[in-house]
Amino acid sequence: MPAPSRRAKLTETGRTMATVVQTIGLTKIYTLDFLDVEYGRIKLRLRPSRRQRVALKDLDLAVEEGEIFGLLGPNGAGKTTTLKLLMEIIFPTRGSAKILGRPLGDKWAKSCLGFLPENPYFYDYLTGREFLRYYGQLYGLGRRERTRRADALLERVGLHGAEHLPLKGYSKGMLQRIGLAQALINDPRIVILDEPQSGLDPLGRKEIRDIILQLREEGKTVFFSSHILSDAEMLCDRVGILYGGELRAVGKLSELLSARIREYEIVARGLPEAVVREWQGRADRVLADKDSVMIIVRTETDAREILSKISNGATLVSFNPRRETLEEYFIAQVRGGANG
Amino acid sequence: MGKVWAIAVNTFREAVRNRILYILLIFAIVLLLFSGAVRELTFSAQDKVIKSLGLGAISIFGLLIAVFVGIGLVYNELDKKTIYTIVSKPIDRWQFILGKYFGLLLTIYVNIAIMALFFYFALYWQTYTSEAALDRAYAALPAGESLSWLSYLGFLGMAVLKSSAQAVKTFFFMPGAVTADLPPVVLMTALELAIITAFAVLYSSFSTPTLSAILTVFTFVIGRTNEDIIRYTWVIERNGLDSTMDVVKYHGAQCVAHVAPNLKIFFSNTAYQALSDPPVQYDRWMAYGVVYALAYSGMILVLAVLVFRRRNFK
Repeated sequence: MPAPSRRAKLTETGRTMATVVQTIGLTKIYTLDFLDVEYGRIKLRLRPSRRQRVALKDLDLAVEEGEIFGLLGPNGAGKTTTLKLLMEIIFPTRGSAKILGRPLGDKWAKSCLGFLPENPYFYDYLTGREFLRYYGQLYGLGRRERTRRADALLERVGLHGAEHLPLKGYSKGMLQRIGLAQALINDPRIVILDEPQSGLDPLGRKEIRDIILQLREEGKTVFFSSHILSDAEMLCDRVGILYGGELRAVGKLSELLSARIREYEIVARGLPEAVVREWQGRADRVLADKDSVMIIVRTETDAREILSKISNGATLVSFNPRRETLEEYFIAQVRGGANG
Repeated sequence: MGKVWAIAVNTFREAVRNRILYILLIFAIVLLLFSGAVRELTFSAQDKVIKSLGLGAISIFGLLIAVFVGIGLVYNELDKKTIYTIVSKPIDRWQFILGKYFGLLLTIYVNIAIMALFFYFALYWQTYTSEAALDRAYAALPAGESLSWLSYLGFLGMAVLKSSAQAVKTFFFMPGAVTADLPPVVLMTALELAIITAFAVLYSSFSTPTLSAILTVFTFVIGRTNEDIIRYTWVIERNGLDSTMDVVKYHGAQCVAHVAPNLKIFFSNTAYQALSDPPVQYDRWMAYGVVYALAYSGMILVLAVLVFRRRNFK
């Protein structure tokens, strides 16, 4: 597969955009191995079994500067594997990747990165403040600078007041927030987040979402993985869909999802019995309960006709033209992948 | 180096906030303080017995700290996946391993220092409350008067103060008469533990805590009996390498003895040679110990880094 060169292109606003994260034929094959040390061709193994699992297959992906890129896919699709490869937590079986034009493992590139792993678990004997200062130290920040940033970040992720508590006493949402704070301690250009919203309540998810949007405002690139599609849909400029270790689709949401309206959803109250019965035969779906009824139709003419029937004592509760959602697109892709 | 230091300090902090450390330390201190009770149980060479017991306690508890605190250090980072955030920072993996090693060593050395202080205290306490000292206190009294409760308490209080002062003085390498030979011995124990700690980090970098613990203790035992293993091969050789079994045993034992560290270097001189007459030439002995410990633990750490550097973390 030819390696796409590092490219720069003009966006609508005229700003040049550079590729900040690029993978070229990135492949990872897992085997059950207790030692698992690799030096190029020399491999130290302690393998009870020969069975292999292809976690990621020839991934070619490019994330542009300043965008929010979502890597989506069901569990076991290879999302975490991709991010772990980029962070050099694991090493690729084949292929390579570049971050800010530098090869993996480059110190300078790493110092421009922030990373939040999935379900983070941190040193529970440290307090929130100690933890952030320790990580600041790993970036080589001076004492005063890391204290300043730690305090500012604690404020930003809403942990002000919990900074002297040991992480042992943090709830899952608080851990996720302190995890996000540690990913930002170096004021990174690229923020890589693995399932930042999983396991959080709706409020927690919204908070994380707001922070991600803020990061884009600040001009940072956010590359995250998720299986929560509704969040991804709200956030992402572009998405990539992984399934079974292969990239199924990549692009802007507006390009991937068809713009046309798929169906109209009408909810009305007090609609005459006869009308309901008539549409039970004609509409896509009709759901009726004691006093209200929901009718889903495919065409605009049908929708207009139903709306015209709502008079004399009947009231329109809601009218909702629905476009294809990311979830529907996703399911179609995954099904297609599973069949083909 | 700043990053290695940061990881070392954090490792130290982790150990210091670990309950196991305190349980071990309290046990050691109780044992050291009561080592004086041995005086009542032995007939001769009381001094030697007490010192052997104390030095043995420091060495064994140092080992236990290396094992129980050390083995989980690297493994926990993998198990709890904190390593994910560490390796994503601009640090090298060797810096991580070195940081862990020095952090653990720092923990052990601080504990050895505390144990040594209590040990010296116990020894001086023996002197200041010995029968001779008590006799002197009696002699100071006006004739015919007996020691009152209050003045006996005063006598004990003075003994505590004097013992503490002497212990601290000895600790900072101004040996008093009672403990003249001990600081170098404690230092050798510290050097021995530098090697054991390197092994603990190596084992922890690729295996589970239980396996690491077993392997570390194994290494310690083989290291301490290294010279005996060599002697064993002499015995086999003298009896003639007739059967295949003998050849296997001979070469197996030779192999183990040559690969494993020889910890007797640090030990054989401790309890009895420290008290030997004429005294051992400390300078040469210590210089050899320092070189050996540095070379050996350096080698083991290089091995640990080689294993760790290109390891896939699941």
